[in-house]
Amino acid sequence: MNLSGILVVAHPEWQGQVVETLNALEGVEVHQVDEETGRIIAVQEAPDIHAEIEGLKRIKAVSHVIMAEMVYHYLADDKQAYEAMPPELEEQQDGFDACVVPAYLNS
Amino acid sequence: MGLSRRDFLKSSIAASTAATVGMPLAKQAEAAVQATEKGWQWDKSVCRFCGTGCGIMVATKDGRIVATKGDPDAPVNRGLNCVKGYFNGKIIYGEDRLTQPLLRMTDGKFDKKGKFTPISWEQALDIMEEKIRWALKEKGPTGISIFGSGQYTIHEGYAAAKLMKAGFRSNNIDPNARHCMASAVVGFMQTFGIDEPQGNYDDIEHTDTAILWGANMAEMHPILWSRITNRRLTHKNMKVVNLSVYGNMSSDIADLEIIFAPSGDLAIQNYIAREIIKRDAVDHDFVKKHTVFATGPYDIGYGFRPKNVEKFASAAEMEIYKNEQEHVIDKWEAIAQRKKEGEVVKQANAATPMKDWAISFEDFKAAVEPYTLDFVAQVAKGDPDEPMEQFKAKLQQLADFYCDRNRKIVSYWTMGFNQHQRGSWVNEQCYMNHLLTGRQCQPGNGAFSLTGQPSACGTAREVGTFAHRLPADMVVMNPKHRAIAEKIWKLPAGTINPQMGSHFVKIMRDLEDGQILFNWTQVNNPWQNTANVNHWIKAAREMNNFIVVADAYPGVSAKVADLILPAAMINEKWGAYGNAERRTQVWRQQVMPPGQARPDLWMMLELSKRFKLKDVWGAQPVPGLKEGLPDVLPAAQAMGYSPESTLYEVLFATPENKKVKWPDPIAKGHPNITADLLKDGWFPEKALFEEYRQFGTGHGHDLAPFDVYHDDKVRGLKWPVVQKDGKWVETPWRNNEQYDPYVQQGLGFDFYGNNGQALVMGDLDKPGDPAKKVDISHKAKIYFRPYASPVEKPDANYDMWLCTGRVLEHWHSGTMTRRVPELHRAVPAAVCWINQKDAEAKGLKRNDLVWVESRRGKVKVRLETGGRNRVPRGLVYVPWFDEGVLINKVTLDATCPLSKETDYKKCTVKVYKA
Repeated sequence: MNLSGILVVAHPEWQGQVVETLNALEGVEVHQVDEETGRIIAVQEAPDIHAEIEGLKRIKAVSHVIMAEMVYHYLADDKQAYEAMPPELEEQQDGFDACVVPAYLNS
Repeated sequence: MGLSRRDFLKSSIAASTAATVGMPLAKQAEAAVQATEKGWQWDKSVCRFCGTGCGIMVATKDGRIVATKGDPDAPVNRGLNCVKGYFNGKIIYGEDRLTQPLLRMTDGKFDKKGKFTPISWEQALDIMEEKIRWALKEKGPTGISIFGSGQYTIHEGYAAAKLMKAGFRSNNIDPNARHCMASAVVGFMQTFGIDEPQGNYDDIEHTDTAILWGANMAEMHPILWSRITNRRLTHKNMKVVNLSVYGNMSSDIADLEIIFAPSGDLAIQNYIAREIIKRDAVDHDFVKKHTVFATGPYDIGYGFRPKNVEKFASAAEMEIYKNEQEHVIDKWEAIAQRKKEGEVVKQANAATPMKDWAISFEDFKAAVEPYTLDFVAQVAKGDPDEPMEQFKAKLQQLADFYCDRNRKIVSYWTMGFNQHQRGSWVNEQCYMNHLLTGRQCQPGNGAFSLTGQPSACGTAREVGTFAHRLPADMVVMNPKHRAIAEKIWKLPAGTINPQMGSHFVKIMRDLEDGQILFNWTQVNNPWQNTANVNHWIKAAREMNNFIVVADAYPGVSAKVADLILPAAMINEKWGAYGNAERRTQVWRQQVMPPGQARPDLWMMLELSKRFKLKDVWGAQPVPGLKEGLPDVLPAAQAMGYSPESTLYEVLFATPENKKVKWPDPIAKGHPNITADLLKDGWFPEKALFEEYRQFGTGHGHDLAPFDVYHDDKVRGLKWPVVQKDGKWVETPWRNNEQYDPYVQQGLGFDFYGNNGQALVMGDLDKPGDPAKKVDISHKAKIYFRPYASPVEKPDANYDMWLCTGRVLEHWHSGTMTRRVPELHRAVPAAVCWINQKDAEAKGLKRNDLVWVESRRGKVKVRLETGGRNRVPRGLVYVPWFDEGVLINKVTLDATCPLSKETDYKKCTVKVYKA
């Protein structure tokens, strides 16, 4: 699962409508709005990066949206990529014999 | 994870995002952020990927990176990040990270055909020392080489260049930036006499027109693209033009999309110049005061092996390679170059393509005269299904923009121009039209070369990790430049080798013909990124040589190597990068590298301890240098060195450098693995940076002191950075009196890079009387460069153009981005984009597995007819990030003869069902 913080800028006169449309999008929540500048902070939840990019494109395509870009990414959730490595690495700190040669290299 | 925890996280992310873009925070939100980020330490850093140079903030906790965000104070990206930038924290945690030196061994001994086996660093350095000594003994200094990088930190590049050029006296060091920036460099050096763009990214918010020349910024420079998009939507005069050989994501907001045929850009530029003159849109005052017209030879070859190519090439390859000696003029070249169709032209200037001479404005005018709308439209139209009249109307509209005196224009390009058989020419043509109309070096006006790598400018170019360069735009061939370098480096006169080394592709060729016996690959992936790679893989695996690859992950190059060194990555070491707008940016080490992985800088410093002056500073043979390199040991002894001194003591841990102590309060408690492992109390990154600064200070390349960049308030500075009233002040626009302290007062604009230079006056065909020279001080050159057809063109057998490049989600060869599961899942494999009609005509459909085959090799790949790229009939596009689809087996190793940069954008292939 991916969580991202997205800055959306809308034409100020259409901001209310844009916020409504954004909230109706699956996985999107509007958290903060600045009426003067038309800036909107949305948080998007998506199962993977593909859905996340598609989701961002979907936000960019909303009428009266001037721009939308990701700002913040929360990393700690991808257990598979994040936690698989450290135990092995700790072993290697002491003795290089523990190193596993990637099978790819000797194939 | 419970629902409440998730909600809590979300409000914290929202609050952090708001804070990043400068929106006020609710009290509640602030509390959420504080709770989530408890114990996190945030510090400024720079994105690891492209040349944009976005600032990112990195959070660490308990020795691990836990979050990253766009840096709100970074003027480049103002808090935003693209998809790749977003994953800076994750690229270091891939599962197959290399953590041990690995040597090919059989029965406990090195064996070129053996299996990779873990060894200690001591053993790794032992075998490197042994193999370097062997290569030096067999071949002299030219027997060893380094493949460097535009991703080197400034310190790493500086150490590598100094080790090779001052220590081993070899100029065989060349970065992968040769593949991406070299044509831009020639364009700058020939036109302005000084490298790198004059403007900066703020041009976007000042301009009325952004013209993209073969640069798909929406995918390759997304953050700059978001600034262009924003300008397009908020400034009503703003126009965006996308010139490309296929429709892409950048076309989506473009007002004008021009699909041109490969090399058609050369003709389009000259058409624009002709229109500017015809419609009298020339800025005569600017042109007269600040420019001189020039040209050069056309018979310059295609950058193939100059001789003996038949020893290595197949008969099919020879069909193309033979053009290096003689080229038959085609019907378009006949018009464009004032020749006859079918005329055989000996490529007499293949070894001297850089020659140039001055011409008159009348000659220039005559040269662009054949580039009429009718002619150029026929040469350049890239989509066979587009009506000719529509294409002509688009060209006219483009010319209208240039001829509108009230319109500001910025041109952007990267690989589309640079990776081009006439890449240096087309760079120069872009300046031609900006200079003709006086649109350079002003806010919102300028031709701006973008970069693809994070320190192509800062390291490869400014430090000078090229075969011909020294720091600060100096070159090894120039005796004055060598003398300056020898003085700063405290070397005896005559230490530096005066002969240009082998450029990137030539290092590969030298490995193939046995001239180079030792190679050390650093921070790049040459056996994936070099064209016509079947030759080079064979050379590495089957010739008697020794290849060392330092990398973080096992890519194609690691697989080809004899010895693999595990390298530390970006936030695992101290570093500095220089981006495309001359901005030098720095970061501190945040976390420790895994296992035995070490910074490249440490590797070089350790290796330098193993060589003594007596090993390298005696007389040395150099092929092509009659006398060889002189014995400088007596002079070294007179300077106080001993023949027993190590390169480490003489080049790196010098008495001056050892005064720069580690630990240093500037570290604010952050570690420095290099200093800690060396254990001799100096701060290598800071000491080397201060030494390097001496090269640029006082002549337009000035950098601020190390500590200034590390100030918490500073987000990089654009050089020249000069001291004014006690402050270090950057230069936003160079060569413009309003902004650049180096401009001579009263000139307005001053192209001082050419000061002291002169050109012989000539006509369009040849230089004239060598005694009659034109002084070009303070002036830029406006070159006439003709259209030249691609050397390989579609025929009955190889009927399609092949263009290669990148995709948004992956960066270069994918060694880093493919380790991020989310990015890998998004685009797991390269596909071949083909036009639906071509697919139908060949009896193929989407998702079919096909062979893409050229005269040089073939790859199997899945077909894509939809998606983000819209290729015209007759052209296929295959990205190169995927080692499973090693497209560089197919590409052609033609280079721009001036820059030696490979053209990855055009060769010919056939596509058929696998």
